[in-house]
Amino acid sequence: MGDSPDTVSQTQRSADSAPTPAPSAAGADEEEPQLLKQAQNPQVGPPPLSPKPDAPTTPTRAGQSSPTVLLVHEPTIPLLNPNRKPALDNLSYLESASMMSGTFESLSGLGEDGSSVGSDSEINGLTIKRTDKYGFLGGNQYSEGGDKDVRVEVARQREMKWLDMFCHWDKWVKHRFMKVKLRCRKGIPSSLRAKAWQLLSNSQELLEANPGKFDELERAPGEAKWLDIIEKDLHRQFPFHEMFAARGGHGQQDLYRILKAYTVYRPDEGYCQAQAPVAAVLLMHMPAEQAFWCLVQICEKYLPGYYSAGLEAIQLDGEIFFSLLRRTCPMAYRHLKKFKIDPILYMTEWFMCIFSRTLPWSCVLRVWDMFFCEGVKIVFRVGLVLLRQMLGAVDKLRELQGMYETMERLRNISPDSIREDVLVQEVITLPVTEALIERECSIQVRKWRESRGELMHQPGRRLHGTRAIFEHKRRAASISSGGSLSFLGSSGFCTPSFQDKHKGSRKEMEVNGTKDLQKQSKTTKMGWLCMVLNIG
Amino acid sequence: MAGKDYNHLFKLLIIGDSNVGKSSLLLRFADNSFSGSYITTIGVDFKIRTVDMEGERVKLQIWDTAGQERFRTITSTYYRNTHGVIIVYDVTNPDSFVNVKRWLNEISENCDSVCKILVGNKNDDPTKKKVDSQDAMRFGETVGVRVFETSAKENINVEEMFMAFTRMVLRAKKQSQDRAEREREREKDTVNINAHRDRDRRKRGKKCC
Repeated sequence: MGDSPDTVSQTQRSADSAPTPAPSAAGADEEEPQLLKQAQNPQVGPPPLSPKPDAPTTPTRAGQSSPTVLLVHEPTIPLLNPNRKPALDNLSYLESASMMSGTFESLSGLGEDGSSVGSDSEINGLTIKRTDKYGFLGGNQYSEGGDKDVRVEVARQREMKWLDMFCHWDKWVKHRFMKVKLRCRKGIPSSLRAKAWQLLSNSQELLEANPGKFDELERAPGEAKWLDIIEKDLHRQFPFHEMFAARGGHGQQDLYRILKAYTVYRPDEGYCQAQAPVAAVLLMHMPAEQAFWCLVQICEKYLPGYYSAGLEAIQLDGEIFFSLLRRTCPMAYRHLKKFKIDPILYMTEWFMCIFSRTLPWSCVLRVWDMFFCEGVKIVFRVGLVLLRQMLGAVDKLRELQGMYETMERLRNISPDSIREDVLVQEVITLPVTEALIERECSIQVRKWRESRGELMHQPGRRLHGTRAIFEHKRRAASISSGGSLSFLGSSGFCTPSFQDKHKGSRKEMEVNGTKDLQKQSKTTKMGWLCMVLNIG
Repeated sequence: MAGKDYNHLFKLLIIGDSNVGKSSLLLRFADNSFSGSYITTIGVDFKIRTVDMEGERVKLQIWDTAGQERFRTITSTYYRNTHGVIIVYDVTNPDSFVNVKRWLNEISENCDSVCKILVGNKNDDPTKKKVDSQDAMRFGETVGVRVFETSAKENINVEEMFMAFTRMVLRAKKQSQDRAEREREREKDTVNINAHRDRDRRKRGKKCC
């Protein structure tokens, strides 16, 4: 189901499907060795083909003088212990890492550039053999290495296809989106994942349209109430991942940078604890600035309202989810209803963290690949597939005779019970479409208003993946017709060039553009645009 | 219920600010372990432990909640059928102690009557302690809540706190059973013309204990 049949079919199709010439042989040769190296160790730094390898990207590595650099020279004796099989519980390692915490109490006191200490590479240098191929040192999501890798030739072929798509991205999205979707469903090559996620989410365009913006957000002081809570959460994200294990290490610092930047970028939204694991997954793949814009797209386009005060969006999706469950797996639905297990009790973490804490890591990546392409539909489908797997048969329910037995099962999904290819296949074939979700959404919104009153959250803001984001961008561009209003297409954000041209209206634009624009109807939007353009 | 392995079943809820050690307390009590590598609680988690109390088996279902304020909007779901609420603060963080009042308010918004206990966690390093024990005790007296100081990390007072709280919840249950019993006795002797209404009202009330 997984790779092999797909591979065959893709190979067959590849001959007639290439709409554009493949990159030159020379180019390919140059890139191949890098690609393969990356494929083996996807976590190390940005991919070789990241859009701007020399951009002010990651701050990651050592070499920068910083007072905190000393802390890495703490002896990490437990690491020297030649533990052949990585222990599930890496307490010794983490304790040694946390010994360092005292020297790095407050991350807000970082160097002015907020750069990382680049410290834990030494630590990780020792541990690198003990991590799995995703960088996990232990914990539930440690991969025992049982999952089969894609064959080298297949991997190379896929990389070539993706590279080709990258070269003509807009055309692919516009004319051959089904193919893009299919390729995301097969799994994005790990070496190209970072770039692919950025293109799929359109965050790359946002990044390019806002040069220096991330630095500016970083330099802003930020609000203490958010910074306090962010700091407390830094060491509590994927503590078994090499990037985030060490207190004050580069992973935690980058996490601080992007979470803080988001609170400055969207002061009305602030920080939600569920954003941290999402940001951490992004950081495992790309430098902080890229991860920031990707996070912005997730929070604003893919899952708007999920992290906002009030948490209405997640509650609404809980109701939608439960209703979809009734259609897709009545047995699981009846069981949950019988024991009064509200969706909010088990799906909050699944949805808000996009399953990053729930599934084995190889599955997380496959789910995210599809999610970036197809949007929230994938999140619903994965949740439904999991419930069907756990509660969809009489024999399974027999041992779950109670709320707590059931909750326990849902809270602790055994990694052995989930096979990557089976999960993906079931997700692909589950008949839950965008239209169905939207229809169910309007029913649940009506019910909400009847029973709970006004709903602040606007479900209409949600865009179902790459294609919808692309269309949204095009519509906005056609409205602006020639004016440099790219901010509309991306995130309702001002581009500097536009700001310069319209200095007089800049303040007004920031207010309207960032907060209210998305909420306005199309007609109001038009009226407002005319106003701004007149001023210009 | 046939084949049940306990005499009483209580649902307890742990609440309090973010990073005060709610999950650590639960893990210490339920699994007697501590790990420096927790993840933030998003939504809700729970664990079960059965204890012997006054010759009876008491099964505790302990729910652990997310600390961040914005998650409180979904916590009303968690309060349903709760017998006792453990409010945790961090003795090294005065803000978390100040916020206890808000947590108490939240309890009263969600439950009519429920057993409560106040727990000052991370009480293992006198040099870092910032919330004075006496202040905490005085505050506890004014709001009628017993105060315990614990350390999940060093395993100080955790077991004692949970056991004392379980005893409180058990007594509260027995008292309310006795009251109900007496009421029934009294009802037998008198003719209550509003019997129907009273019963309905009792059913409707958000009674937690």
